[in-house]
Amino acid sequence: MLLLDYQNVLIQSVLTERFSGAPPVVIDQTVSDFDGVKFHISTPEGTKTKIQVSLQIRCYGDLVRYGAEEVLNREYGQYVVPPEPGYDFSVLVDLENLPEEKEARDELIKKISLLKRNAMAAPFEQAYQEYYQLKQEAAKFTSEEAPQGVREGGEVKAIHYREEEAIYVKASHDRVTVIFSTVFREETDRVFGKVFIQEFVDARRRAIQNAPQVLFRNEPPLELQGIKGVNNSGSGEIGYVTFVLFPRHLTPQRMPDVISHIQTFRDYFHYHIKASKAYIHTRMRRRTADFLQVLRRARPENEEKERKTASGRTFKVGS
Amino acid sequence: MANQTPAVVMDNGTGFSKLGFAGNDSPSFVFPTAIATKGPAAGSGGSGSGRPAVANKPSFLTGGAGPTGHLSMKRGTEDLDFFIGDEAIAASSGPGYGLHYPIRHGQIENWDHMERFWSNSIFKYLRVEPEDHHFLLTEPPLNPPENRENTAEIFFESFNCAGLYIAVQAVLALAASWTSSKVTDRSLTGTVIDSGDGVTHVIPVAEGYVIGSSIKSIPIAGRDITYFVQSLLRDRGEPDSSLKTAQEIKEEYCYVCPDIVKEFARFDNDRSRFQKHVVAQPGGRQVSVDVGYERFLAPEIFFNPEIYSSDFLTPLPVVVDGVIQSSPIDVRRGLYKNIVLSGGSTLYKDFGRRLQRDIKHLVDARIRASEVRSGGAKSGGLEVQVITHKRQRHGPWFGGSLLGQTPEFRSYCHTKAEYQEYGPGIVRRFALLGGPGGS
Amino acid sequence: MSQSLRPYLQAVRSSLTAALCLSNFASQTAERHNVPEVEARTSPEVLLTPLTVARNENERVLIEPSINSIRISIKIKQADEIEHILVHKFTRFLTQRAESFFILRRKPIKGYDISFLITNFHTEEMLKHKLVDFIIQFMEEVDKEISEMKLFLNARARFVAESFLTPFD
Repeated sequence: MLLLDYQNVLIQSVLTERFSGAPPVVIDQTVSDFDGVKFHISTPEGTKTKIQVSLQIRCYGDLVRYGAEEVLNREYGQYVVPPEPGYDFSVLVDLENLPEEKEARDELIKKISLLKRNAMAAPFEQAYQEYYQLKQEAAKFTSEEAPQGVREGGEVKAIHYREEEAIYVKASHDRVTVIFSTVFREETDRVFGKVFIQEFVDARRRAIQNAPQVLFRNEPPLELQGIKGVNNSGSGEIGYVTFVLFPRHLTPQRMPDVISHIQTFRDYFHYHIKASKAYIHTRMRRRTADFLQVLRRARPENEEKERKTASGRTFKVGS
Repeated sequence: MANQTPAVVMDNGTGFSKLGFAGNDSPSFVFPTAIATKGPAAGSGGSGSGRPAVANKPSFLTGGAGPTGHLSMKRGTEDLDFFIGDEAIAASSGPGYGLHYPIRHGQIENWDHMERFWSNSIFKYLRVEPEDHHFLLTEPPLNPPENRENTAEIFFESFNCAGLYIAVQAVLALAASWTSSKVTDRSLTGTVIDSGDGVTHVIPVAEGYVIGSSIKSIPIAGRDITYFVQSLLRDRGEPDSSLKTAQEIKEEYCYVCPDIVKEFARFDNDRSRFQKHVVAQPGGRQVSVDVGYERFLAPEIFFNPEIYSSDFLTPLPVVVDGVIQSSPIDVRRGLYKNIVLSGGSTLYKDFGRRLQRDIKHLVDARIRASEVRSGGAKSGGLEVQVITHKRQRHGPWFGGSLLGQTPEFRSYCHTKAEYQEYGPGIVRRFALLGGPGGS
Repeated sequence: MSQSLRPYLQAVRSSLTAALCLSNFASQTAERHNVPEVEARTSPEVLLTPLTVARNENERVLIEPSINSIRISIKIKQADEIEHILVHKFTRFLTQRAESFFILRRKPIKGYDISFLITNFHTEEMLKHKLVDFIIQFMEEVDKEISEMKLFLNARARFVAESFLTPFD
């Protein structure tokens, strides 16, 4: 597996099974996703034909501020129900009232399994809109005489999606900047992470010219100056990875894919650090076995331990 | 922490892995513990043996260290090219992939494969960041402590998991039985009968500790029942006697009867007991298979093994009785009182009832004999109880889920910090979850 | 093999062969005990002068001989942070399996990455020159392994970065 999926596999498989006309059963499962997101899949009120999927996400307050509710309402429309207590957002599907065509059903499954992605997408979509606006305005001026507001771009949207880490999104008239703050609690991960990040930074120069520009630094980038809650200690534990999305990534057609993809960055990054550690373990196991073999050669060859007497009985010699 | 992430419970068995989150009543994923890796190009494909391609001498470095063309980076990434679970089975039927089972007889044999299996389970299926979650893993009884250490090494060093607890499957199966209404006190003393696909174990557990010297295995389990059903179908010349059909019949129609001779008579008197099973064959054809005596004969091989096997002739109740008799005398009463079933092959209707009756017979006969020998002394009797409960199928997993959601679970785990302080040896000992002395 | 490696290994080999001249020796301080004197350090008269063979400031071998045991500690080359981590990981992995390595010490001597302890019982059971071969081969291969792992890490990082960025293209 190279890239991570965008959707939640469990929700997808549960719904696929339910939608295909399997006999209705009571479901009650609490499921986790990356970044501490929690789902609750259940059949409420004792009915087996209705499936409710609820989402709990740490930064829901942040997301609502950036228009998550509109995005979710747009995506899920008729299925939205008041959130289940303890959760932030719920959708309810009635199995007896499903779309007729198979494609539409698959579409619905896909959509619900992308619940987390859609919730997180709101600030990005907003940044896209701001970018379109700013671009139009900026087109009226040359770069020198543009008013302060246009040159500086929109406000920075902070999404505190993990306890210690956040995503910051900022739109300007010619770009959208996405900044991930990353924390490594462990030395090995930090060193491995540094190697990986360096390659992200270099990749654009070497191979993929059209990719977003990636920058890395240990102190908060200029965009984040004066933002509340940004750790300014620069202690080396925290790092800031900046993705600069250029106009070619910002077309409305490419928006959904770019948003889905960039969201997975942190988990992808951590997954591969762990996968390479696993590979290094494999190598070390192999090498250890080799060393053991060399050491075993140091033991003198044991002569045949079993000897036979003339009558055919065997006995052991030594040890 | 206000927002606690649920613990991840993983029960990796020889045949199937059960993965899910603590607090749920069933595992989120159940799939074969199989991994399909890119076999050597000239390999035989599905032979399922030999080392993984990546574990060979690092040959990709001898092929020139500098970048040779910008997309030749493919080298050195074979270790990401693999599938697990059902996808592995599907991939192995195609070209290029070889199927491997990293667990043999309940114990992990190939750590390279297992590490990647776990990696994929966590990131692809469960979708969790291991740093945020505590993990509850299971191990078979008599697992060498070195295996625990290796497991800890992988979970702490590769995955940086927040906390780790490794529990013995039999103990978890006991915990799972707490959901049964028959269980009044939540003790961790009892006899676990764990019957999966390959082998059946009888494991006595006292106060949460497995009595290793008394464990007995029986070479009769789910697969044998399937074979037996198949052979009965073949003997009758049914139109379809594939293994799959046999398995369906076994799962749908079989039950345990109190007495075979009477059951034969009842079948002959009441034709409605014979049933028909419709099999959809490839090509859209449908054939109907008669289901007769195998309904009660198949599970009977646990109680009368001589009808199936010629090498193993001890009935299950006798084995269970023997196991308990070989255990320390002061726990035997508890072991008889709490015989817990676990695993898919214990799900037949009335399996527990028959087992209880047969063991009771053996026990009562022995008590009577000793009463006679002692010349008039009266015994107070001995309670024999077999617990059947709803969570039998994934007993160990469910027990893990039950214990993993308790508030004190986290304090029983070893954390990454502790691991680094004391080294892998720390996982040789775990405080007993849910047992006496637990807060 | 680079210019200075061969003489370095040759020097280690000769010193080691010379030092591996062990005999059974019961403890002088505790009755009926037979302990490696180089570890116990209770009788200074049976300890010999330790010697260091150094290739440069980052790579050296410390050989501490005594009458019935000898301790060999190796400092493995670590040019940067990554190599440091990899060496640390690898030596830890090995010491974790010290049981099967017989002569591997569970804890390295301070200032070194990995230590071996060979006693007279080992030399009685195993062939001396093969033990020396093992140490030398270990030293050779560890360096190779570390640099290969480092290369792998870089190649993997590049591959991972490019795969993530390609969909944006």
